[in-house]
Amino acid sequence: MIEYDEFDKRMVLKLVYYGPALSGKTTNLLQLHDLLAREGRGDLMVLDTADDRTLFFDLLPFFLVAPSGLKIKIKVYTVPGQVRHDATRKAVLQRADGVAFIADSQLTQSCNNVESFENLEKNLAFVGLDAGTIPLVIQFNKRDLPDILPEAEIRQTWSPTGIPIRMASALNGIGVIDTFATLAGIAYDHLDLRYRLNVDHGLDRSEFLRKLTASTED
Amino acid sequence: MQDKDVKRSADYVVGQEKRLAEIITQMDILPLVKPVLQAGADSVRITDERENTIWSSGAGAVEDSIEISMPLYLEGEVVGLLHVTAPFTQESRLRRLAELLLESLRIILVNNLKMMLTSEVHTTVISQSYDELLEINRRLSVSERRYRDLAENLEIKVAERTEELKRAHSRLLQQEKMASIGQLAAGVAHEINNPLGFISSNLQTMGKYVARFIAMLEFYRTALADRVDNVELVESARRKWQELKIDMVRIDAVDLVSQSLEGAERVKKIVSNLKGFSHVEDVEQFPADLNSEIDKTLTVLSHEISDDTEIIRNYEPLPDFLCNPALLCQVFLNLILNALQLHKKGLRLEITTLSDGKNILLTFADNGPGIPENIRNRVFEPFYTTKDVGSGTGMGLTVAYDIVTGYGGTIDVNCPEGGGSTFSIVLPIIRGK
Ligand SMILES: Nc1nc2c(ncn2[C@@H]2O[C@H](COP(=O)(O)OP(=O)(O)OP(=O)(O)O)[C@@H](O)[C@H]2O)c(=O)[nH]1
Ligand SMILES: [Mg+2]
Repeated sequence: MIEYDEFDKRMVLKLVYYGPALSGKTTNLLQLHDLLAREGRGDLMVLDTADDRTLFFDLLPFFLVAPSGLKIKIKVYTVPGQVRHDATRKAVLQRADGVAFIADSQLTQSCNNVESFENLEKNLAFVGLDAGTIPLVIQFNKRDLPDILPEAEIRQTWSPTGIPIRMASALNGIGVIDTFATLAGIAYDHLDLRYRLNVDHGLDRSEFLRKLTASTED
Repeated sequence: MQDKDVKRSADYVVGQEKRLAEIITQMDILPLVKPVLQAGADSVRITDERENTIWSSGAGAVEDSIEISMPLYLEGEVVGLLHVTAPFTQESRLRRLAELLLESLRIILVNNLKMMLTSEVHTTVISQSYDELLEINRRLSVSERRYRDLAENLEIKVAERTEELKRAHSRLLQQEKMASIGQLAAGVAHEINNPLGFISSNLQTMGKYVARFIAMLEFYRTALADRVDNVELVESARRKWQELKIDMVRIDAVDLVSQSLEGAERVKKIVSNLKGFSHVEDVEQFPADLNSEIDKTLTVLSHEISDDTEIIRNYEPLPDFLCNPALLCQVFLNLILNALQLHKKGLRLEITTLSDGKNILLTFADNGPGIPENIRNRVFEPFYTTKDVGSGTGMGLTVAYDIVTGYGGTIDVNCPEGGGSTFSIVLPIIRGK
């Protein structure tokens, strides 16, 4: 958590989109920005890019107010996936409340996925977060492409871990909100345990998710 | 590392909230507001979300004026308010102007924030990378130091090992040489012993026979002397006796035999020394009298010692020294040979032995040319030789050094002012295993 001010009744959360270079993290955020209603959502901030590769991070902020008056800001970040930007990844990962790991489904990217995931675990430890308990969702992106890992195989590999797995084609806006809502849901569960969002602030899980993921079509 | 992290995260976290006043400055606002005032607005005021004025311009509320207030959003949250007052009549025009101003402010806000975030994360990353570099540097220098130490030690270790190997090698060579010499000597001794046995026992028998001849001659002479009836025979016998110098022969024959026996006895001793010197049969240690070991060595070397060489033996009785005498004989041999080879004419070698009950002290002092100071500590190094190539192996003193130190002793060389070199050996009589 970036910030919690009990007196001010303000809570600033951080969700991070992590994953190997070019897996579609920025695309996920772009799509969220386009698909979700303007209400309670800030502008997408894309910090400097070089050839569409994220250099620092992208940021999509959300804002909502609980019935109790508690103001909740959720800042959704992407990290740069390229190996050389590890210091930036660490900086962005600090105090994260949840991580969406965006994997590239293409067979050729399996190694990069593994390396990036190990890098995530290493960096979580580095910034003092527990990789075993932090809210985590894994998205297998680019399902629209040929030569991808079969879904059955993915599920077989990952289901024993209990980590939620989502299939997506971010470029086409498929699975993007689902991934985001899943992550936000687990993050809510974690926060609720500690800050009693439901009992003390009158904000239940479905309302929280509804506010965050109200789409433009609604 | 961990501490630094905690500290750094206290300094700055990506995502920290910023207040409106931090993001937007007077400089940003002024050029935007000016046209609005020129277009007829009475006042423009910007407050934060709690209505604290951040910026205001123009006169206060004027009569017949209307205030237009609009929220300023940042990251989906209302962070401030824009208040524009305008004459009642100008309302709709000014509302559009105010909307334009709001949008401009929003754009400026987002751009400023973006710049701030970029520079902040840049700084964090740089300083973090810098810290990491420092840490890496620190670790590198630690490990570099370790490797340097290791490398330095390694050099020393390698040098030591090389030295050891050289010594072991030279010792082996020398031992092999000695062993083969010993075997040869033992073989020769064995071959000589048998005929020598015949010679001395025959000589002894011969001595007895000579005594009998002499006794028989005496008997004839005495018996003949009483024969007054045959003076002629007596006279011719006496002449023959004289002619053959039997008086002299009689004495000399005895002497010759006993001298030959003595000679044979000496050969026997030499042969047994030869055998004793090579010690081919002993590998075990046993108590030895070093004085007699030195003597044995000198015996073996006797053919090397020229007539004008003077060997002085200052022996004191020594307690037995537990050792493999063959090894110590090698030490003596090498030291004596060293002196003999260095200085052939008029050599004087003084060998002194003494003991204080704890140690045995042996010195071999020659009157040779001495050893120059600068190489004195190198003479015990393997293959170091001052002799012409071919005349020495350069290992004699090394072997001596190794054997003596092997018995827990020390060997040193001193060259007194007056010339010559003195090798001193100290051997502890009682030593730990
Ligand atoms: N076919 C296909 N292409 C995709 C999909 N999602 C993203 N891409 C493409 O993959 C490329 C990289 O996408 P980005 O979103 O920029 O990747 P990123 O993870 O942000 O990459 P970095 O910023 O370098 O870490 C772009 O060309 C996207 O159009 C998808 O679902 N299907
Ligand atoms: Mg990106």
